[in-house]
Amino acid sequence: MVDSSLTIKKYTWASFDAWTLIPLLLSVILFGPVICLFITASGNSDGLWYHLYETVLLKYIANTLLLMIGVSVTVLILGVGSAWLVSRYEFSGRKLFDWLLMLPAACPAYLVAYAYTDFFEYAGPIQKLLRTIIGWQNAQDYWFPEIRSLGGAIFVMSCVLYPYVYVLARTSFLKSPASFYEVAKLYNKNTFFSVGLPLARPAIIAGLALVCMEVVSDFGTVEFFTVETLTLGIFNVWLGMNNLVAASQIAIVAFIFVIALLFIEIKSRASRKFSDNSQRQINEHKIHLSKFKSFISALFCLIPVFFGFILPVLLLLLHSLKTSYHQDWIKLFRVVIDTLMIAGIGAISIIVISSLTAIIAFYKGRNLLNKITDIASTGYAFPGTMLAIGILVFVGFIDKFYSLSSGVFGYQYSGFLSGTIMILILAYVVRFQAVGYGSIRSGITQIPQNLADASYMMGKPFHETMSKIVLPLLKTSIIAGGLLAFVDIMKELPMTLLLRPFNFETLATYTYQFAHDELIEQASLPALLIIIAGLIPVIFMNKYLREIKF
Amino acid sequence: MNVKNTIILIIINVIFFGHLSLAQEVNIYSHRQPFLINPFLEEFTKQTGIKANVVYSTKGLAQRLKAEGQNSPADVILTVDIGRLYIYEDHKLLLPINSKILNENIPSHLKSPKSTWFALSKRSRVIVTSKERVDTSKINRIEDLAEPEWKGRICSRPGSHVYNRALMASIIAANGEESAEKWAKSFVKNLARRPQGNDRAQVKAIFEGQCDIAIINNYYFGKLKYSEDPQQQEWAKTVNLIFPNQGNDDRGAHINISGGGVAIHSKNKDNAIKLLEFLSGEVSQNLYGKINFEYPVNPKIKPSAELVGWGIPKEDQIPIIKIAELGPLAQKIIDRVGW
Repeated sequence: MVDSSLTIKKYTWASFDAWTLIPLLLSVILFGPVICLFITASGNSDGLWYHLYETVLLKYIANTLLLMIGVSVTVLILGVGSAWLVSRYEFSGRKLFDWLLMLPAACPAYLVAYAYTDFFEYAGPIQKLLRTIIGWQNAQDYWFPEIRSLGGAIFVMSCVLYPYVYVLARTSFLKSPASFYEVAKLYNKNTFFSVGLPLARPAIIAGLALVCMEVVSDFGTVEFFTVETLTLGIFNVWLGMNNLVAASQIAIVAFIFVIALLFIEIKSRASRKFSDNSQRQINEHKIHLSKFKSFISALFCLIPVFFGFILPVLLLLLHSLKTSYHQDWIKLFRVVIDTLMIAGIGAISIIVISSLTAIIAFYKGRNLLNKITDIASTGYAFPGTMLAIGILVFVGFIDKFYSLSSGVFGYQYSGFLSGTIMILILAYVVRFQAVGYGSIRSGITQIPQNLADASYMMGKPFHETMSKIVLPLLKTSIIAGGLLAFVDIMKELPMTLLLRPFNFETLATYTYQFAHDELIEQASLPALLIIIAGLIPVIFMNKYLREIKF
Repeated sequence: MNVKNTIILIIINVIFFGHLSLAQEVNIYSHRQPFLINPFLEEFTKQTGIKANVVYSTKGLAQRLKAEGQNSPADVILTVDIGRLYIYEDHKLLLPINSKILNENIPSHLKSPKSTWFALSKRSRVIVTSKERVDTSKINRIEDLAEPEWKGRICSRPGSHVYNRALMASIIAANGEESAEKWAKSFVKNLARRPQGNDRAQVKAIFEGQCDIAIINNYYFGKLKYSEDPQQQEWAKTVNLIFPNQGNDDRGAHINISGGGVAIHSKNKDNAIKLLEFLSGEVSQNLYGKINFEYPVNPKIKPSAELVGWGIPKEDQIPIIKIAELGPLAQKIIDRVGW
C-alpha cells in the first residue's frame, strides 16, 4: 500500500534537462519579489528593535500564534468534520450541504468582520435586544463576548477559511479507494482514523497551511478588530515610524512562522505516499444514519454555513436595501466586468504556472527541485501590502533593465510593467500560487506511481505521459485550485489597491473606499456582489466535481 | 494582417500600454477616497478640459512612486495627514514648485519650507461629550482628559492611527516628551473599552451609553449630522462639540491637514501645477467645507456657514512640519502606554 516511489523515481525521468529549467525559471520569478523584501529588510533599522522588543514585539508574536492556533483548531473541526460527514454518510440535507459548505469561501473575512461588528457590538441589535428583554441598563450589568477581540477574529476567520480544508479534504475522501475502507471494516477499525484521515492528511495539511498563511497575512480583519498581530505591527512601524526597513524585518519574522509550517507539511508529506491499484470509488455507497444522528450531522454542517455565509449575506442584504444611497449602476457594472476579467486571467495564469512547476518538479526533479518550488509558492505568507512593495521593487529592476535596452532601439519608453494590469497579474500569481500549487501537489500524491512507471517502461516520452495520463488524472485538483485562486483574487484587496492602473476598480477596492470609512451601508451592495460573483465558481466547481468519473 | 492578429495586437496594446493616452490629462496618486475627491476633479475637468486619472490607496503609494522611479506615470499626490506628506518629501519624491498662485493662496506655516507640498484643507481634532452625562465646563483642554474623574468614561480610536499620532505629537511639542507620556498613560487608564473603531464609531458608543467622552476629527460631526442614515443623525444630536485649548494663554486646538504635491518625475507638470492651483482656489476651497466639513487653508475664503455655526476654533499655530517630525516619537509613546 505504501509504495517506495522515491526509489522507483530514480529509474524514471528524474534528470536535469530542459524540462527542469521551466520550474527553476518560474521559481526565480515567483520568489524574486520575496528576495526584494529580504534586501529591503537588510538595511539599517535605526535601533528600533530594542524599542519594539521592550514594548510590543512579544505581544505581536503571542497574538499571532494564538490567532493561528485558534483558527487552525476551529477550521480542522469544521472543515474535516463536515467533509467526512458529507462524503461518507447519508443524512437529511446532505446533498444541499455538500455545496452549501463551500459558500463561505466567497466571503472576504474583513467584510464579515464589518457586518458582524455592527451586529454583535454593544450598540448592535443582539445586545440591544438582550438589554430590552432582561432589563440590563449598561455595559457593567452583564458580560457579552466582545466581537472586536482576538476571540472575535478567530470566530470570523474560521467561519470563512474552513472551506480551504473542507474542499481539499472532501476531494480526498471521495477519491479514497473503497477497498481500504472494506479492509478497515474487516479488522473492525474506525474508518475515519485508520483510513480516511491518514489518506487525506496531505490534502488537509495543504489546506491548513493555506489557512495559516491567510491568517498570518490578514490585515483587514485584525485592523478592524485591533488585534495586534505581527501584520498590524508591520504597519505601525512602517507608516507610524516611517521605517520600512524595520517593517520588512517584522514581515520576515512572520514569514519564518510560515516557512516553519511549510517545513512541517513537506516532512509529513514525504513520509507518506499512498497509491491504489483499484480505481473503484466509494461515493456511491454512503452509510445511512439514524434520525437523531442525521439531525446532529445536519446541525453540525449548518453551523459553519450559517455563520460563514447565511448570516453575513443577510446582514449585507438588509444594509443594501436600507440605504437610500444612489447607486451608480453603470459604474458598478463596469467594476463587475473588470473584476471577473482580472480574476479570470489571474486564475488561469496561476493554474498554468503551478501545474508546470508541480508536475515537472515531481516527476523530473529530485528533492532539491521540489523544495525550491515549494519555497517559491510562499508569497502567500506575506501581508498583501508588503508583498506588493516587494513586487514594486522587483518590477522596478525589470523595468530599469528594459529601459536600458529601449535606448538602443530609440523609442520613448514608459514602463513595461509599472502601472499596467500586468503587474497586478504578476502580483496575484506570486501571492496565490500556493493555492493552485498546494491543490495540484496533493493531487499528484494520489496518482498511482505505477501508471507513470508503466508509461515509462513502454518508452513513452515525458510530455506524452504527462498530457495523456497525469494531466487528466489531475483535472479535479487543477480545477479546484484554479477556482480557489479565482475567488481569492476577486476578494484580494491590499495588493489590488496599491498596484492597479489608473481608474481601475475591482469590487474589493470599490467596496473598500466606503468600508474604510465605516460606511457599512454604502459598502454593502458591492460587498454582496463580491460574494455573489464568488458563488459562480463555487457552484461550477461543485457541479464539475460531481460529474467527474474517477 | 488578418482580423485575429489585429485583435490580439489591440489587446496587447491595451494590457501593456493602457495608461498611455494622447489627451490632456493629469495622473493622481490619492490617499483620499474617490467619492471624496471626484466632485473636485469633475469641476477641474469642466474648467480646464484636462482629464484626471486616479489610483486610490490608503497605504504604500510613496513606495510605489519610489519603485517606479523615472517610469512613474504619476503627476500629483493627494493625501491626508501631514506625516504622509512629510514622508514623500523625505524620500525626495516631490518636485519643488514655484507658483505665484499657490504662494498667495496658502499661508507659509501650512506648506513645505522646500515648496514641495502644500496644505489644501484643515481639520481640527475635537472632543465630543455626552449632552446628558458630561458637564462641558469641566473639559477645556485636551490635557483634562487625563483627570481621574473620567475613569472608564472615554472611548478612543487606536493610538497608532495617524490622527491620534499627530495629536500625540502636538502634545509632545507643547509639553515635552515626559509630560506627554504621563498624560497618555493616564488617558489610557480612563478608557472605557479597548481602543477600536474609527471616529464615527466613537460617537456611536457615546450615543449607546458605552462611554461619555471621545476625541474625533471635526468633520465627522458634520458627516453624522447630515448623514443619509437617520440613525447617525441621532448620534450627532446626543453630543456636544468642544474645541480644546481655547483659553487666552492656551495654544489652540490641534490642526491637521490634507494636502498635495507634484511627483518628482511628473510628465504632465503643467497640468499637475494647474490642479494644485485649482484645489487652492475659491471654488475648491468652498467645496472642502461643503462636501467634507473641512476648513479652507486659503485666508481669502471663509469657512462654510455650517462650520461657522459650530464656532471657529483658535488653532495651534505650531508649524505643521513639526508634527510630522515628532511622529515617530509619538508612536513610541503610544506603544509604551498601550493606546
